[in-house]
Amino acid sequence: MIALLIANSLALAALLIMLASGLALIYGLRDVINFGHGAIYMLGAYLGYTVALVGGFWLALVVVPVLLAVLGIAFEYLALRPLQSRSHIEVALVTLGLGIILGQIIIFFYGGAARSVDAPQILSGSITVLNLSYPVYRIFLIVMGLGSCALLALWLGFTPSGLYVRAVSQDPSVARMMGINADRLSLLVTSLSAAFAGVAGVLAGPYLSIDPGMDVTMIVNCLIIVVIGGTGSIGGAIVAALLFGLVQVAGSVFLPSIAALVPYILLMVVLLIAPRGIGRGRVLN
Amino acid sequence: MNNRTTTTTAAGARPAAIGSFGGPSLRLPLTLGFVAIVFVAGAVAPSYFAGDFMLRLANEGLLLGMLALSVAFLMNQAGLVALGAASIYGGAGLLFAIAMSEWNMTPTGALCASFLIIVVYATVLGALIVRTNPLAFMMLTLAAGEMISHGVMLEGLRDYTGGADGLVVNFKGSIFGMEAADFASPARFWLVAWVGAWLAGLALWAVGRSRLGAILRAVRENEERMRFSGFDTYLPRLIAYVLVNIVAAIAGLLHVLNAGFVSPESLGLSISTNTLVAALMGGIAGSVGPIVGGLIFSFAQDEFGARGLTQLLTGIVIVVFIVVFPRGVVGGLWSAARLRARVGRRETS
Amino acid sequence: MLKVEKLSVSYGSVRALTEVDLEVRGDGTLHGVIGPNGAGKSTLLDAVCGRRRPTTGTVRYRDQDITRRSVAWRRRQGMARSFQRTSVFQDLTVYEQLHLVAQHLGDDRLDDVIAVMDLAGYLDQKAGRIAYGVQRRVDVALALIGRPHLLLMDEPGAGLSAAETLRLFEHLRDLVRERKIAAVVVEHDVDAVFACCGTVTVLDLGRHLATGTPQEIRADHRVVAAYLGTAA
Repeated sequence: MIALLIANSLALAALLIMLASGLALIYGLRDVINFGHGAIYMLGAYLGYTVALVGGFWLALVVVPVLLAVLGIAFEYLALRPLQSRSHIEVALVTLGLGIILGQIIIFFYGGAARSVDAPQILSGSITVLNLSYPVYRIFLIVMGLGSCALLALWLGFTPSGLYVRAVSQDPSVARMMGINADRLSLLVTSLSAAFAGVAGVLAGPYLSIDPGMDVTMIVNCLIIVVIGGTGSIGGAIVAALLFGLVQVAGSVFLPSIAALVPYILLMVVLLIAPRGIGRGRVLN
Repeated sequence: MNNRTTTTTAAGARPAAIGSFGGPSLRLPLTLGFVAIVFVAGAVAPSYFAGDFMLRLANEGLLLGMLALSVAFLMNQAGLVALGAASIYGGAGLLFAIAMSEWNMTPTGALCASFLIIVVYATVLGALIVRTNPLAFMMLTLAAGEMISHGVMLEGLRDYTGGADGLVVNFKGSIFGMEAADFASPARFWLVAWVGAWLAGLALWAVGRSRLGAILRAVRENEERMRFSGFDTYLPRLIAYVLVNIVAAIAGLLHVLNAGFVSPESLGLSISTNTLVAALMGGIAGSVGPIVGGLIFSFAQDEFGARGLTQLLTGIVIVVFIVVFPRGVVGGLWSAARLRARVGRRETS
Repeated sequence: MLKVEKLSVSYGSVRALTEVDLEVRGDGTLHGVIGPNGAGKSTLLDAVCGRRRPTTGTVRYRDQDITRRSVAWRRRQGMARSFQRTSVFQDLTVYEQLHLVAQHLGDDRLDDVIAVMDLAGYLDQKAGRIAYGVQRRVDVALALIGRPHLLLMDEPGAGLSAAETLRLFEHLRDLVRERKIAAVVVEHDVDAVFACCGTVTVLDLGRHLATGTPQEIRADHRVVAAYLGTAA
């Protein structure tokens, strides 16, 4: 029972980590919260649906992140760079507007009905481990989640750009004097963030449903995670995503009548006990 | 000229001299007279000239404008963007409806009860989130709004809240001598909404010009230095948050009195974003802008019919107005007038 | 007036201050704090005014242990701080911001502060639009409001020429003597410090190195070594 719970939380957390870390990275680097992140994720899911229809799930998993990375580049050049001189709140509001626009465009093309994507043959069905039967696809999700965590950790821990991002996330005033090409780094982070949102979107297809409200649901989840983790702290975001996944899954099992509210209760509790969030981020003034 | 009483809000500040109208001693009475005329004319004229349909749109516009006023005030004075306005607006209405049908209160009692509950909620929520930086605040208000939105739809509470179907207000009795029919009548409600909007606008304008307003703006600018100057920077923002939510609650209560019905949509994110759009369009500085913005939005929404298009336009307006027209319609006109007057004065001197 | 005992401040694993002692009397003289880069001077001020929580040690102000008190509380009790990187309200006029703070701290003699910092000609201008040197004076003026008992100044001469710094210091010295304020001034410009301060404390690498009159410090070979050592 506990094992199932943990496994399910990890599967959900895998998606959340991919999304929340992208959000946290941009915030850490640029002090910008991309309120359109949920819409990008939604685009990934819907595009994944279409590409999968034509060329299969695996093709979608490759093509969609690339497409979304391009979108990320466009976002960086057309939205973030021109608005660099504006206040962070104004930029955040613009991303909100852009997210709304993107969401509406998707609904225009796809309509309001929910879609579902089938998992590819290899990943469908369940396997039996230690007397427990578990869906293969979710194990795949967990693996993907772990993989992206590992990649992220490697990048942050062992490359100069990763080190810079970590430094800036913790103390922008000091780290910005380090002289690395901040613009190029920002471009990298933004496009990676979008690409990962695309991966998450494609992966979400067989696992959650694809529907017009998913952008709002996901952005709220990501925002809660980023705040709990301490905005700007990537490690905190990962821990928060795990906590969120656990709480969400446990909530739906043990408190089904208020399952939808459980993440918000978690948020309020964390705000009460640790207003700074879990990691060493910059939530407070 | 040593002008030691200047503050930064636009609406209500002494207007620039228009041409050569009298000297400084005449300016204040002239302004007051002008304002009084607008107030009376606006209260009375529309009922004569506009049909029910137009009045209904205008009523919606005024209420949205009041809600936009609450969002705009907080943005302009404290630099905080509240993305959960609908949870207060719709929430107040929902509580009123519940109080009338489930708790069997009198209309006045229901008004007071729902108002009080909202104020308590706003205080508790504000106490938790006002301490964070503006970006985190924005995220948290969005989350809180969604929390209420989902809470209302919970299976267990469906009997109370009506779930997806919404709740009809079981209005028996009267408030201040007005009955259900009075509130539902577009012409008679216009009067109520007009007076309400003016009161809210004047109240928040007065707060903006008060010491609290000055403290809020200074905290917005340099929170650390305010602490280093001996100020508690937390309490003023909490007070401002509660005040604007009071205005939002009043707007929500007026709305439910007029509509006689509350649906889960009135608590939804789209209402919150509509409010933001109305505030941005009208201009967030001062009290006139947001209310005008509400009216503009209401009429524009009617023009652009299909719901899908409204949402798309919402997104577009947010982007366009932040990037290109940060002062909004009213703010822009105001600046243009000031500029013309200053140029005029320079030419005549 | 101010007694700092065994104060240590760490940022993560970095020790910025190690067991520093400092005593400042309210006798109307400037107490300068100097030291090579990285000595921990600003951190000392941060800890004393409440901006940073010390890891160990105490801060006693007027015989009261205030180590846990908030920044705002300390200001209301008369401990004022000015900033190295000028921190004023860009969008408010000079008068507006001074008046706002004066009203809050119950100071009805704002004109004195305005006169002392020579700001009379700038009152109606927005702080963001005036020259940097004048902004510095506004920064210091904000700290002078409310008749503080203890002034903590962080490099008041930063960004000013040597002559301007000296003039500012002379101003401060006279002000402090007149009003019997205690003042701790962290400064890089050693000449101005030696010229105007009654007592000088030297920090090096987060530790207290020496305290004494300017003459004593100038002659102290450890101080010379510390400065030369970092230059090498």
